Amino acid sequence: MNDILEKLAQCVEFGKINKASPYPPNMKDQDGADELAKRALEEGVKPDEILENALVPAMSRVGDKFTRKEIYVPQMLMAAKAMNSAMAHLKPFFQSGETKRKGKFIVGTVSGDLHDIGKNLVAMMIEGGGWEVIDLGVDVGTEKFLKALDENPDAVVGLSALLTTTMENMKKTVTAIKEKHAGSKILIGGAPVTMEYCEKIGADFYSPDPQGAVNYLKQLVS
Amino acid sequence: MTNSTFQIDYKDLNINVSQIEEILGYNEGEDREIFKVLIEEVLKETESFCQIRAEYNICTDLVFNNAEKSVDINGINFQIKKIVFDQLKNTDSVAVFLCTAGEELGIRTRKAMKDGDLLTGYIYDVAGSVIVDAAADFMQNELELSVNLSGKKITNRYSPGYCGWYVAEQHKLFQLVPDNYCGIRLTESALMDPVKSISGIIGIGANVKMNPYTCGLCEMKNCVYRKKKEIRDKSATV
Repeated sequence: MNDILEKLAQCVEFGKINKASPYPPNMKDQDGADELAKRALEEGVKPDEILENALVPAMSRVGDKFTRKEIYVPQMLMAAKAMNSAMAHLKPFFQSGETKRKGKFIVGTVSGDLHDIGKNLVAMMIEGGGWEVIDLGVDVGTEKFLKALDENPDAVVGLSALLTTTMENMKKTVTAIKEKHAGSKILIGGAPVTMEYCEKIGADFYSPDPQGAVNYLKQLVS
Repeated sequence: MTNSTFQIDYKDLNINVSQIEEILGYNEGEDREIFKVLIEEVLKETESFCQIRAEYNICTDLVFNNAEKSVDINGINFQIKKIVFDQLKNTDSVAVFLCTAGEELGIRTRKAMKDGDLLTGYIYDVAGSVIVDAAADFMQNELELSVNLSGKKITNRYSPGYCGWYVAEQHKLFQLVPDNYCGIRLTESALMDPVKSISGIIGIGANVKMNPYTCGLCEMKNCVYRKKKEIRDKSATV
């Protein structure tokens, strides 16, 4: 791998946002993901190479370490922030269509539920997996999910819930989506959710951790 | 019913960095200085705005149903299920309680997250959980001191959503307290607003006991309290 991409991947993996960022302590005063992504583009590295050969593998390593409990939410958030600082330099290329992402992912916390940290973590990891994320926020009713799918019919949908009461609203949303967009893939997650519940309500996939969701999406486009 | 209200001073809860770190998670030998600085900043800010309240109502009209593993409190039936039933069956009254760390913590969490400051937002969220848990401990200690005067003891506190007690029973619990009790509103989906709030019941009686740890009885494998215990155990064995 190109040296600069290797360094960029390291910055993302260990959460080094920019030169001014004091985290992680062993990378203090070094360039971070922000400077390295900018420099890579200036040196002629293609944006999709930056995405595919640095950001995506780095976030994949972060997700795997989180799954194995080698790191915790704070380290994951720092990695996501570093990824975002690099991604900001790629945004113009996404907008112009020069760089394509793997697909679109619509995500939201279901109706009646205001919890968003788990949903945000999944959204960040999926964005780091090379997908465009359409985050509908919290307390999202079925109609809003359907509208987003009408506008983005090829998108995969992610539903989050933290309460057993709001988890029931997943069923309504899944049923409505499958009725109107039969081919749409739906993955669900949240503390009370299980694979058994996923199968019961007709969703396509359940993951107890963000990387499982990333791997599922990866498998859909492979 | 006997009602007690507490406006709790943040300082009285003795919140410290290590309590937050315990939930954030960390590996042994890891340099935590950067997170520590941020946690200290968040806690300093939090102290300036959080409004901590707790209230409890003591209800004495109890009818236990062993076959159903339920209890009627003031004529309202609660399907508390086996784990909670077994802990409460010898009580002669219960304290129905609510505690909150206030609304501002949720606002700060959402704002920080929206502004892209994800870690700060997350630390506010965790701080809210730690504070409201400490507030519930404070209220529980006060209750214990009060009932000890009459030679009685208390059980652990139990909340809808834990130990098999269905979270939708929050609606019934809120029927036992006045509207806007403790400044907490319940949504249709049984979510408390402010989010950083706890509700539940504590058993009172001469023949009840406090269990040091009940997570082993519960089926919620991802619960934050179980994780805290696991981290403590891990630290203790290193």
